[in-house]
Amino acid sequence: MNYEQLTPGYEFPPTSYELSASLISKYMQAIDGRVNGFVPPLAITACAIATMAGSISLPPGTVAIHASQDLEFFKAVPIGATVECHIRVSQKIARGKMGMLILQLEILDQGKEKVQAGKATIALPTEERDA
Amino acid sequence: MLSDIREGMALPPVVKQITQEKINLYAEASGDFNPIHVDESFAANTPFGGTIAHGMLNLAYVSEMMASVFGQDWSSSGRLRAKFKEVARPGDTLTINSTVNSIEDRDGVSYADCSFEVRNQKDEVVVAGEATAKLSRGQK
Repeated sequence: MNYEQLTPGYEFPPTSYELSASLISKYMQAIDGRVNGFVPPLAITACAIATMAGSISLPPGTVAIHASQDLEFFKAVPIGATVECHIRVSQKIARGKMGMLILQLEILDQGKEKVQAGKATIALPTEERDA
Repeated sequence: MLSDIREGMALPPVVKQITQEKINLYAEASGDFNPIHVDESFAANTPFGGTIAHGMLNLAYVSEMMASVFGQDWSSSGRLRAKFKEVARPGDTLTINSTVNSIEDRDGVSYADCSFEVRNQKDEVVVAGEATAKLSRGQK
C-alpha cells in the first residue's frame, strides 16, 4: 500500500495482537514505567499505529512524522489480552510540500467492547514524489 | 492523593532520559522499527541528522504521569490530546509538567482537565496538549 492509494474512507485490514507479558515488560523498560497488571493505554495505541505505519510504503528517504494524537480510553486491558485494531483514513490533506494523513482508530477487546478510540495525524514530505 | 487534587495545582513533574537503548526497546515493544528511530546510518542522512525517539514514546511519559496521579481510572476513562512539536533525541532530558486547569462535574462525576508540556533540556517544547482524567464523585 503506497501513500497515493490511501484515500479518505480507506480501511486498513483489521489487525489483532496479543499484549503479552514480555511485550509489556519491554514497553515498561522503555518508558521507565511500573507494571501493575494492566496494559498502559499508550502501549496499545503504539502497537496499532506501528502496524498501520508498517503497511504503508514510502519513497526511499522519506520520513513520516507523527504530528498529533487524540485519544479516549474506555476500558483497562489486562496483560495477556488480545485486542483488535481498526484504522480508517478520514482525511488526506496537501499543504505545500507536505501531505497530512488523518486516521481514525478504534481498538476493541476480544468481547468486541471498545477499549480506546482516537485520531492520529501523520505528516510526510511530498517533495520527493513531485521531483 | 486524588483527594488533594485542586484547580490550579501543578502535578509532580517527571524527568526522563532518552537513550538509544530505550528507543530500541520501544521499537521492539511497539513493532515500530522505522529506521529514523533505530538505524543510525539511515537517520544521519535525513534532515534530522540522527535517530529520534518515537513521538508516542515521548507521549507515553505523559500517560504514565497521569496514571501515577489518577490511577486505574486513567486507563478506563482518560482523554488525551497532544501535538508533537519537536523531536527528542538520544541524550535528551525530558521534563514533563502538568497543571490542573479546572475540575468540572459531568453527570455527577468530577473530571480534572489538565494541560501538559514535555520540554527538553534546551527548554524547547517537544509535546504539548491537554489531558482529562476522572476524579472521585463530587470532588472540587
